[in-house]
Amino acid sequence: MKVKDVPQDDEFLQPDGDVLLRDRTYALDDDGKYREIPSAGWAPKNEAIRFSWSNNGEKAKEVLKEVLSGKCSPLKYHMIRLVMTPGILADYTGMSKRKINKLCKPKHFASIKPEELSSIADAMNISVEELTSID
Amino acid sequence: MVLGLGSGIFFSHMPFYRLHGMALTSFRYFPGSIFTRVTRALGIEVQWHKFKDPDKAMAKLDEILAQGIPVGLRVGVYHLAYFPKEYRMHFNAHNLCVIGKEGDEYIISDPIGMNKNRLSAENLKKVRFARGTSPPEGRMYYIKSTEHYKPLTADMLYKATLKTCSGMLGIPFPMFGAKGIAYLAKRMRKWEKLYGKHGAAMNLAQVIRMLEEIGTGGAGFRFMYAAFLQEASEFLNKPEWNQLSMELTEVGDLWRDFSYHAARFFKKREGIILSYDDIADKLEVISARETEVFRKLENSIKRG
Repeated sequence: MKVKDVPQDDEFLQPDGDVLLRDRTYALDDDGKYREIPSAGWAPKNEAIRFSWSNNGEKAKEVLKEVLSGKCSPLKYHMIRLVMTPGILADYTGMSKRKINKLCKPKHFASIKPEELSSIADAMNISVEELTSID
Repeated sequence: MVLGLGSGIFFSHMPFYRLHGMALTSFRYFPGSIFTRVTRALGIEVQWHKFKDPDKAMAKLDEILAQGIPVGLRVGVYHLAYFPKEYRMHFNAHNLCVIGKEGDEYIISDPIGMNKNRLSAENLKKVRFARGTSPPEGRMYYIKSTEHYKPLTADMLYKATLKTCSGMLGIPFPMFGAKGIAYLAKRMRKWEKLYGKHGAAMNLAQVIRMLEEIGTGGAGFRFMYAAFLQEASEFLNKPEWNQLSMELTEVGDLWRDFSYHAARFFKKREGIILSYDDIADKLEVISARETEVFRKLENSIKRG
């Protein structure tokens, strides 16, 4: 790869503008010497990332339908949306995986304890209101 | 240079080790192994800590920072506040360096950040104790002493490079080293049958992401290793290593070509769309070329 070929297109939105995240790529300059060049982004890679996310979004939409028809609880929808798995969520909250799976059913989710609710919301980094609604 | 001295470059495709429900493809050694190898080779003493209790972990961090020593931390990126949303996966082997504390905020120098930034104590605590595959468990490390520091020698470079070559050529399992790329190609031909059209595309996306992930220096460390070979060729006065560096650069370009074509699967652009067989062919070429480069490299050391 030549210095002029280092991709500088298609950048993701950065939540903290001060950091300026850059890919550090190595490329050859005109004298055939390697140099470290910061790269802003590259379309093929970002397409792969977006593809994974859009897939996830579709899956979440399907679950949303189930939530609306009363088959699942909002927890399941948020779990899919935020790429959480029952296993990881169980690790964060200290509950069992079985308990998390149980809470994916509306019946059990309705009788959840407030402290359990807040610990799940905390692990997912969303508010309790968000966790109990489906917007 | 560090990548070369730490024998960092590698390839493996492990269908039995899963990340996000898909096979793990890796272009480097395990996180931390490069760092350990380099500091050991140069005789730098590093102190490691691992914690169960988040509060103790933060207290220890403050204690070391108060002595004016920068501290390295291993964190998960899922909750890392300054990362773009798209990158927030359950990836628990991101390393960053804390260089100071002001009030309730830590000053951070991230390896991929161009500037220094700040992170709240609360968020830092969360990312240090991220969960999922191989949790960081609040790991921290700092340089204890450089008393026994040894300057770089030719011997160190030869030793590390031989180790790299043996990893790339000598592991008797099909999924590791340069031949692992051909193994991935073989698996790829079966993907559509195994996982369906959709699942195959998901798997391909995963490979591209690992290949071009932030911090790889482009094309799964291949360009970075080529840069090392060039630097080493000057240090050792071995012009043939510069030649190998150029060859590896070509291999890196092939990897880029592979990702470029593979990305067409996700976005229906005009032009020819290749089949899995076609891109698997590309991987087989890469596999053969990489084997050749590392074999030449090994021979150049063994035969003087």
